[in-house]
Amino acid sequence: MNLTAEEVKRLYQKHGAALAAYACSCGMDHASAEDVVQQLFLKLLAGNVAAPQTPLAYLYRAVRNASLNLSRDRQREIGLDTAELWFTHPGGNRDEVLSLQRALRELPEEQRETVFLRIWSGMTLQEIADLTDAPRNTVASRYRYALEKLRERLVA
Amino acid sequence: MNPPDDEMERYLRQFQPRAVRALELAPKVGLTLRWRLVAAAAAGVALFAGCFLWVTRRDAHRLPPTRNVRANKANGAGERQLESPLALTRLALADNDKLESLLAEESRAELPSLQGEQSMLRALAKE
Repeated sequence: MNLTAEEVKRLYQKHGAALAAYACSCGMDHASAEDVVQQLFLKLLAGNVAAPQTPLAYLYRAVRNASLNLSRDRQREIGLDTAELWFTHPGGNRDEVLSLQRALRELPEEQRETVFLRIWSGMTLQEIADLTDAPRNTVASRYRYALEKLRERLVA
Repeated sequence: MNPPDDEMERYLRQFQPRAVRALELAPKVGLTLRWRLVAAAAAGVALFAGCFLWVTRRDAHRLPPTRNVRANKANGAGERQLESPLALTRLALADNDKLESLLAEESRAELPSLQGEQSMLRALAKE
């Protein structure tokens, strides 16, 4: 079943920013991350990709693959801009944002994806388990480990 | 979930991913617009080239018409042959005498006359 244009737009509004931040956590700069996310949604809108059963899981995977490919090439050329912000903080604390970004980048891929899906895409652990085809306990463990690591790095 | 995890979740949720620009549905429209612009530019170039060709060809037709053509028009003969070197060549191959007479006729019309009442020499002598 194809997604309607409205469904795609809703997905973009709800998850576009989180997906772009996720792409940045995979090593991409924000402008390129936005482009990648836009391209993906436009492909969905145009029906250029077979409608995924779980669009969000597909989007996260596609963003990750595109980011890894692109960032691999770019890092070779220009190096990673570690001072770019892809999150905002209500207090405007730039250092805190940079610390979080660094900590997220250091997480293993599966843990990072789980954190993004849980915190910034608002999924439950069960939904993440369904999305990622992983047992719920595995997802819960990944999440717990990820939070521990983030806590250690951010508090330290 | 453990209370420390809840606390960490709340902390992380304070951070918001940077906003992204609205989904641009324009690429198709942009593409269409770009093609329209290209087509319009091509049409403009074609029109310009057409006009240029038309003007130059028209001028080319007008260039030779000096006395000889007018004279031939007045005579009502030979106009076509004189306009075209190819026609003259054909005439030379087919009927050399006719070509000779045509050229003589042309020469009389083109060059100043030295005989008769209207002779150029007479006019100059009067001056």
